[in-house]
Amino acid sequence: MTEVLSPLTVDDAIALLVEHDEAMPLAGGATLIAMRNASLVEPSHLVSLDRIAELRGIDRTADGTIRIGAMTRHCDTAACAELTGSLHVLRRAAGMIANRVVRNMGTMGGAVANADPAADYLPALACCDATLEIAGPEGRRSLSIHDYVDDWYETALGEGEIITAIMLPAPVEAPSAYRKIARVSGDYATASCAMALDPDGQGLRVAIGACGPGPLRDRAGEDALRGKLHDPAALAEFAGRLVALADPVDDVRGSAEYRLRLIPRLVASVLSELAPQKETA
Amino acid sequence: MMVKKVLHSLTLNGEEVQVATAAGATLLQTLREDLRILSSKRGCNQGVCGACTVLVDGTPVRACLTLTARCEGHAVQTMEGMDGDRVMATLQRHMVQSGGVQCGFCTGGVLISARDLLEADPTPSREAVKTALSGNICRCTGYRTIVDAVCGAAEELSQ
Ligand SMILES: Cc1cc2nc3c(=O)[nH]c(=O)nc-3n(C[C@H](O)[C@H](O)[C@H](O)COP(=O)(O)OP(=O)(O)OC[C@H]3O[C@@H](n4cnc5c(N)ncnc54)[C@H](O)[C@@H]3O)c2cc1C
Ligand code: FES
Ligand code: FES
Repeated sequence: MTEVLSPLTVDDAIALLVEHDEAMPLAGGATLIAMRNASLVEPSHLVSLDRIAELRGIDRTADGTIRIGAMTRHCDTAACAELTGSLHVLRRAAGMIANRVVRNMGTMGGAVANADPAADYLPALACCDATLEIAGPEGRRSLSIHDYVDDWYETALGEGEIITAIMLPAPVEAPSAYRKIARVSGDYATASCAMALDPDGQGLRVAIGACGPGPLRDRAGEDALRGKLHDPAALAEFAGRLVALADPVDDVRGSAEYRLRLIPRLVASVLSELAPQKETA
Repeated sequence: MMVKKVLHSLTLNGEEVQVATAAGATLLQTLREDLRILSSKRGCNQGVCGACTVLVDGTPVRACLTLTARCEGHAVQTMEGMDGDRVMATLQRHMVQSGGVQCGFCTGGVLISARDLLEADPTPSREAVKTALSGNICRCTGYRTIVDAVCGAAEELSQ
């Protein structure tokens, strides 16, 4: 028997999570209710976040930063016209989650909190250098997406804490893309790649999904690759560094070895989409 | 065990209803067990098969992943409430004609997903139909006849 509570403010939601030991926050329910139906979790209370105004909507702040409320559904992110240029990658990732019906339900906050290694938002957010806004019993804090995943399904979210928003740096005019290798349309990724070019076209940012507990990002490697995007040896070295960072599993979606082989191919193919090599005269 | 029941008010197929349902029940449970609305099927109870798909405020969702408590004050629509809907009637006719229905277990969910696609994209490609229906699993037809039906209905409706 689960009691459903529907607080109107973030403070009330946190108070309820603290008050009831076995309470869990409920966002879209796409994962949590499925788990409850399978008796994998048995929360005494579900603290529904859907009536909290602060968690809704996508807004552009005065300095151009984009704030995505935690309760924003995948379908709204996939249709958001503010997510251009360097942030287009996030819009693309949202549109590749599951199918139309599930995208009407799931939220960005819920997907980030769930931290499924094969899910789509974390690599896209790592590529965008996103920041999470978190509220909890000790107050509010911001956390870089790069410091968020601790281990398989383990995150830096503490007891009674909820994600309130995802903050993205102002979009710049530079192409970005998301590619997902999956067995069928709508499945979780076997491996995925989020990539954004620098505005001058000389460098890139890359995050690989589904090849470890969290997205793989090698910022030192990216720096070393600047100016050499079309140098095959430099690119191979960069991809090799990502492979070395990877810690994939064998599962129904593919073997660990297969995933390791996908990484360099994904990087090369998404790069050729974003920065087609020009014919040299 | 005594099941604690909670009273909820919602609009079901255009009518205000009050329903006493188990605390924390899913919409699928409430529809089938308390309201005897049987078009929404329980296939997987995991959000995967699509057989339970219904509309909440006009948007298709999985009834098995939706809590009834969250539907308080919202409008739920199921196949039982689709009589008189032109797009739905056309889809149904094409499903029958093309052999898109065999056991029928998946059919309600397929039709609701297909109607939603045609509202967003009245002239979808075959590929777009397949993608839109990728969340509706059918164990009988092999899908081709379903895709034929949706494409046929789209063609007729856009004339
Ligand atoms: C059939 C199916 C296919 C799917 N395919 C994909 C896919 O291809 N790619 C993909 O990325 N995902 C996929 N998903 C997952 C989907 O994106 C979910 O929506 C997502 O994982 C959970 O989001 P939610 O809003 O439904 O969260 P919920 O299910 O409500 O919650 C998930 C967890 O997060 C906690 N939580 C929720 N919100 C917050 C918050 N704001 N702060 C702190 N904790 C919170 C909950 O307590 C729970 O533990 C799929 C799901 C289904 C059912
Ligand atoms: S029963 Fe809801 S999706 Fe299968
Ligand atoms: S007709 Fe039997 S499952 Fe689709």
